[in-house]
This record gives sequence, structure tokens and C-alpha cells, in this order.
Amino acid sequence: MSAHETAFDSSLGAYLLLLPTLAAIGAFLYYPSLQTLRLSVYKTFLFGQNTRFVGLENFTSLLTSNTYLASVGLTFAFAALVVVSTLAVGLLVAFLLYEVTDGKAAYLIAAIWPYALPTAVAGTVLLFLAHPSVGIYTFYLESWFGVEVDWFTVGWQAFLVVAIAAVWKQVGYNVIFMLAALNNVPESLNEACELDGVGTWRRLLRVYVPLMSPTLVFLVVINTIYAFFGSFALIDLMTQGGPTNATNLLIYQLYRDAFQFNNLGLASAESVILFLIVGGLTYVQLRVSDRYAHY
Amino acid sequence: MAAETRREAVSDASSATRLLPDQLSVHVGLVVSILLMASPLLLAIVMSTQTVPEIYDIGDITPGSDGLTNYVSVLTTYDMLTYMVNSLVMSVVVTVGKIAVSLLAAVALVFYDFRFKNGVFFLILFTLMFPVPVRIVPLYELMATLGWSNTLLALTGPYLASATAVFLLRQHFMSIPESLVEAAKVDGVGPLEFLWRVLVPMSRGMITGLGVITFIYSWNQYLWPLIVVSDQNKQVVQVGMKYLQSVGNAGQTDWGLIMAGAVLTLLPPLAVLIAFRNPLLETFGLAE
Repeated sequence: MSAHETAFDSSLGAYLLLLPTLAAIGAFLYYPSLQTLRLSVYKTFLFGQNTRFVGLENFTSLLTSNTYLASVGLTFAFAALVVVSTLAVGLLVAFLLYEVTDGKAAYLIAAIWPYALPTAVAGTVLLFLAHPSVGIYTFYLESWFGVEVDWFTVGWQAFLVVAIAAVWKQVGYNVIFMLAALNNVPESLNEACELDGVGTWRRLLRVYVPLMSPTLVFLVVINTIYAFFGSFALIDLMTQGGPTNATNLLIYQLYRDAFQFNNLGLASAESVILFLIVGGLTYVQLRVSDRYAHY
Repeated sequence: MAAETRREAVSDASSATRLLPDQLSVHVGLVVSILLMASPLLLAIVMSTQTVPEIYDIGDITPGSDGLTNYVSVLTTYDMLTYMVNSLVMSVVVTVGKIAVSLLAAVALVFYDFRFKNGVFFLILFTLMFPVPVRIVPLYELMATLGWSNTLLALTGPYLASATAVFLLRQHFMSIPESLVEAAKVDGVGPLEFLWRVLVPMSRGMITGLGVITFIYSWNQYLWPLIVVSDQNKQVVQVGMKYLQSVGNAGQTDWGLIMAGAVLTLLPPLAVLIAFRNPLLETFGLAE
């Protein structure tokens, strides 16, 4: 046994040191999560004063509701768009940062600052700049390209604007991790590429991307979770789920059912479904990476 | 010999041009993508100096005539200063509390041998599967039962335990040289003294990095404060921005004022990021 593990030998001491963490995860993580599971099989009345056991009724009514199923599809589409776009933009920026020889430090901070960007600020700023009637982006898009921008009434445009805000916020974090992965590529590989005359883009896609795959899988998981949960502030500030539910992501539907309609049992069932979807996606992504990622 | 040197020089030059794509296009690509990412912020800063009529003159992207008036009125008349103080208190308490609690847990997980150690570690890591939305309804009810609604306890308590912080600190402690641990053992140093005198000074970079990550994370929280705080005076700045949306006269929203609020909300985490970029990047595995 290493010196580390026997530095102190008192089980009681160890548990005392762990007590704050264990108390906090018990009270604020495990207890409420288990309660969610319990509440999901109850119907609540009068803001939780009265409850009635209803079995799986909350789940069956959700899974047969067209509004809810539409929200599920929408959320998957949103997550796919945000994950793919964030990775693509992030890779491009990270690769440029990796290649640049002068001014690297200044470029780096100028490229990753959106890591500090609050989602609510991203949403508020784009709500104004892309506003259908007073937005400067809208103004130039319409006068230069002749497109009609009206995302307060056109669903797919609203979906796109929210996705752009999400990508803007999320790129900085991705660039940091991608650059760290690129820096780990052995120098000898660059030399080999040079000898074989491999072009720049081929080098990025065929040599670097496979070598970065563990990091990329990690980022797919993180970005998926962000798209599912972190985008709440964007929806709440920019679209409130509209127009006609075009941006009604699962997290927003959950918020409305719980805190606007006081449907706590139903909302808990939605929490359970969200947990299963995100847990399932994470599991699949990790399994796929086990098979295909190069470690 | 001269010929050989020349051949080497030639191959060096050609390798440089072929390996690196033209540095000029790299610079152009970087400048363009950085400007694209910064443009909403730069425009927001410009617009934050405009009056309502200037905002509604849409093509106008020159600095407005309002100067810092919007900033002053958003801070005082519209209570953004209160919201910012509330956010600051919340973020500092979460940052200090989370790091303190996680340091203790990491010491136990690395420097002790006890029953169910792996089980406890797994129990902590598995909490990654329960983000706030998965437990939001019971957590809200728990706060109501405890009488914590609208208090700092509700804003900070649920964020204190952290799988990520425990994991990172544990990794870091495991790389502490054995000789130091042995020396502490021989000297009969207690665990808290060992933590304070040896581990903390040796982990300064990691702790700073974690602190920056936690500060930015807590400052940017939106959903939980929105739900658990209904008293406007206790609200954090992210939700405070939502209140600003209703400010305006005769149906004309005062966007200049809102942009000033947005810029102010971004400033603290941005300042922290820039000031502590080196330990932050190091914590993310990106050493300068």
C-alpha cells in the first residue's frame, strides 16, 4: 500500500472529513432525485397539499400527448444542431489557434472569452440585435440579402436564433479543450505529414480529429447536456417556447408544468424522462467512443 | 559542406511553408472568427450609450449621446446594483464553500484507507447524473419546508457539493510526492494541518483554477434563482435582466438601458476570466 493511503489511519477521521460532502449530496442531490421518482407516480392538487397515487398515468399521458412528443423531437433536433455546430466552429478556431505562430496568447484569450458569457446575457443581447423590428442584424440581413426576418412569428427562424445564441455561448469552452488535445499531438506526426505531403485540411480531419476523439466524445456529452438543460435561459428570455411551441424545449415545458401550472406530479415525470434521455444518450456516446475512439 | 548547409536551409524553408498553412491566412481566419464572436458584444456596448430615439433609428451604429447615463440609471433606478451585490455574495459563498468542502473530501479519499472508499467515491461521482432540472420540484419543496425560500441558503446550499471539484482535487493530491507524505507522517502532522500547510500551498494553481470555474458557473446561474427567489430585492443579476425587459415608455422598450444591464452582468465573470486565465487554462489541461 502506498504512503498516500496510510498517511492517516482513522476511519472515523475519514468520514468526518467526508461529512460535509456526504450531507450535501444526500440532502440536495440524492433525496430530491429519489423524491422526483416518487412524485412522478402521484397527481398533485392545490400545490402539493393533496396527492393521489396514479401509477404510471403521468407517463402515459405525456407519451400520448402530441405537444409533449413534439417537444421531444424538437429538443433532439436542437441538441443535434447545437452539438454539431459547436464542434465544427470550435474545431476550426482551435485549429487556427494551434497553427498560428505569432500573438498566440492574445488570440487565445480573444477566442475563449465566451466561456465567461452568461447564457442570459447571450440571450438578451441577441434578442435585441436580431429583433425583428429594431435589430441591427435583422436590418442588414434584410437590406443586403433581401430575406424576411421575423422570428417572432416564424418558428424555424426562432429555433435557429436560439441555437445560434447557444453555440455562441458554448464555443469558448470547446476551444479550450480542443486546443489542449491538439497540443498533445506528438510533433513527430506533423513531421510525418510533412514528408507525405498531406494537405492542411486533410491533416485536420484525418490525423488530428481521430487523435482528439476522446476529447471530442467528452465535448459531445457536455454539449448535449448543455443543449438539453443550459438553454433554458435562452428560451425564457427570447421566445417563451414560441412561436406556437417552435422552441418549446423539454426543459421549458417542464418549467411551465411545474411552476406555472403547478402540475408537480406531471413535472416530476418529465424530470424522470429527461434523466432517462440524457443518461441514455451519455451511455450511448461513451459506448460508441469505446469502440471507435483512439486512446 | 556549404552545399549541404544550403540544402538543409532549403528543405527547412519548404517544410515551414508546407507544414503550416500560409500564416497570413491563419491570421485572417482568426481575426474574422474572433470578430464574429465579439461583434454582438461590441454592438451591445455601442448601443448601451444610445437614447431610445437613437435605438429606434436602426441603421445607426455610432456611439450614442447618452454616454454612461444608461449605466447609472440601470444601477440605481432599476436596482441592478442590488442584483449584482446579491450575485456576488452568492458566487463568493458558493466558490469558497465548494472548494473548502471538496478539499476535505479529497483528503479523506487520498490519504486515508477506510471501508467503502470506492463506494463513497462512486456515490459522489454519480451525482453528475442529477443536474438541477432532474430534481427541481422536490428541491423547491425542500427549500419551502426548510423555510429557506428567498434566502442565501437556498441560493448556495444546493451548489456546495461537487463531483467535479472532488475528482480534480483527488487527482491532484495523488500526484503529491510520496516523500512529502512520509515526512508529514514522521512529523506526526494532523490531517487538517497537513492540508493547510502542505496540500493547499502545493495546489495553489489548481485551487485558483477551480475557483474561477466555480465563480463563473455560479454567477451565470439562472433557472434555480428564478424559481427559489421571488422577492425582487433578493434576486440575482441574471434574473434581474429579465425584469429590465419591461422597462420602457409608450410601448418603446429601452434597449439601450437593457444593453447596459447586459454589459454589466458580463463584466465580473469576464474580468475574472482575464485576470486568472493562466491557472484556469492550466486546470483545463492547457498549460501556457
